[in-house]
Amino acid sequence: MSEIGGPSARPDDSGPDSRRDDVARDTVLARAFVRLADTLASDFDVVDFLQSLSADSVEIVGAEAAGVMLADARGGLRLIASSDERMRLLELFELQGAQGPCLDAFSSGQAVQANAADSRSRWPVFAPHASDAGFQMMCAVPLRIRTDVIGALNLFRGTDTPFTGAEMDLAQAMAEVAAIGLTQERALRERSLLAGQLQAALNSRVVIEQAKGMLAEYLNLTMDEAFTLLRNYSRDHNRKLSELAIDITGRKIPRAALVRRPGQGP
Amino acid sequence: MDDGRRRARIMAAVTKHDAGAGAGAGELIERLCWFAVNEMALSGCALVLMSGADSSSMLAGAGRHAQTVTGLQMELGEGPCLQAYNSGVPVLLPDLTAENANRWPTFAAAALAVGVHAEFSLPLSVRPGGIGTLDLCRDTPGMLSGEQLADAMVAADIARDAVLYQEYVPGNSDLAGLLATVGTDRIVIHQATGMIAAQLDETTSNALARLRAATFASGRSMYDIAQDVVERRIRFDE
Repeated sequence: MSEIGGPSARPDDSGPDSRRDDVARDTVLARAFVRLADTLASDFDVVDFLQSLSADSVEIVGAEAAGVMLADARGGLRLIASSDERMRLLELFELQGAQGPCLDAFSSGQAVQANAADSRSRWPVFAPHASDAGFQMMCAVPLRIRTDVIGALNLFRGTDTPFTGAEMDLAQAMAEVAAIGLTQERALRERSLLAGQLQAALNSRVVIEQAKGMLAEYLNLTMDEAFTLLRNYSRDHNRKLSELAIDITGRKIPRAALVRRPGQGP
Repeated sequence: MDDGRRRARIMAAVTKHDAGAGAGAGELIERLCWFAVNEMALSGCALVLMSGADSSSMLAGAGRHAQTVTGLQMELGEGPCLQAYNSGVPVLLPDLTAENANRWPTFAAAALAVGVHAEFSLPLSVRPGGIGTLDLCRDTPGMLSGEQLADAMVAADIARDAVLYQEYVPGNSDLAGLLATVGTDRIVIHQATGMIAAQLDETTSNALARLRAATFASGRSMYDIAQDVVERRIRFDE
C-alpha cells in the first residue's frame, strides 16, 4: 500500500505535506476496507455496497470512473453499480457487445489492462464507445474468492497513464475483500431464508393439525375426513391450507361455512 | 484445535464407514447424535427443530433418553431447550438437583424422575433467530469438558448446515422432503389440541395448556392422552 502513497509512486510529492498526505490516504484506504468487510449489517444493500466499492476504488486507485458487474444466477454478468452515468452507459455497451475488460477479467479470473490502442485491437466493438466517453486507459480485476469468480471491477482513466502494478494490486485487493463480504452475506441471507421456510413448515404443520382436530370435533369427522374438508375448501376458495387453518383455529370462519359447497346457497 | 479442524474430525467420524452414501440429513444427524452419545458419555442426544414452544419436533436422536428430554419439554412447555432456542445462548445444567435448575422446577423434577441428571442445550443459530437446539443429557451429574463442549457446539453447527443447506448430505438436497416430514412426530398432540379447543370453546394455546395440565395430573405421557382424545376415549368438557 505504501507504494501508492509513497514517494516512489509520486516523486513530485516530496516536502512537509507528503507525510501528512500518506497518512490521509492510508486512513481513506483503511476506512474503505472496513466498509468492504461490513456486509453483515441487518440493513445491508448489495447495490449500495458495490456503489461504495466503485466510488472508493476511483478515489484510492486513482481513476476517473469505475463500475462493478456481478454474475447472475445463470452465470451472465449484470451491471450493478457505477461511479457515474457515463460509466453506466459504457458498461452497458460492454455487456451488449459481449466484449471488454470486465468480461475478460470475469472469464479469465485475471486482472486485465489496456490502453486505447490495445483496446481497439482486443475489443473492436467496445473500444470506440470507451474512446467516445473520453477514456484512454482501462483495467479490470475479478471479484474472486480463491478460484470462484463472482464478478469484476472496471476502472477507467481519461489520461494515457497506465495503472501501476501496485495500483492493480490495490484494486484486486479491494475486489477480493468485496467478493468475500458478498459471499458471506449471500450465505447468511440464504440461510435465514431457509430457516424461515423451515419455521413456516413447522408452524403450518401445527396449525393444520389443530384445525383438523377442531373440525373433527365440531362435525364428528375422522381426521382424514376433516383433512379432505379442509383441502376442498382451500381449493374452492383458492386459499392456502395453512392460512385457512389459521382462520379456522382463530374462529374467523364459521363452522357452518365449511360444510357448504360453494354455490349451494346460504 | 480450531473449529475447522474440529469440524473435519467430526465429519470423518460420522461418515467413515460408508462416506455417508445415500444418507439424508436425518441419517447424518442421527450419526452426529450417536457420535455425541459415545464421545461424551451421554444417555441421550437429540436434534430438536422448533419455531416456538408449541412446535418443537425431534428430527433425529440417539441414546435411551433422546426422546425423553425433548418430549418432557414439549409436554411441560418449559425447559432449557426453549431458553437456548429463544436466547441463542447454550444452557448448561450439569446437575439438575442444583439450584440453577430451579428455573424449571417441573422440568428438573420430571427429568430426574426418569433418570436424567444433567442436560445441555445448544442453539442452532441462524441470524436473526434460530431453528432449534441440539440437546445432550446424561444419567449422571457432571459438566461437559471444554473439549466436549467445543465438539458439541461444532456438531450443532454441522447439524444446522445439514438441515438448512443439506450440506454434507451426499447426492441429496431435498429440503422440500425434510420440510414435509418435519413435525410429524407431534401430529396427534396438535390434533388433540384442536379437538380440546372445540370441546371447551377455547383458544388452541389454552387447549394445549389444558392438555399439559391433564398430562401432569395423570402421570401418563402427553402422547398417550392425546391419542385417547383423538380416538374419543377422553373428553375435556365433561
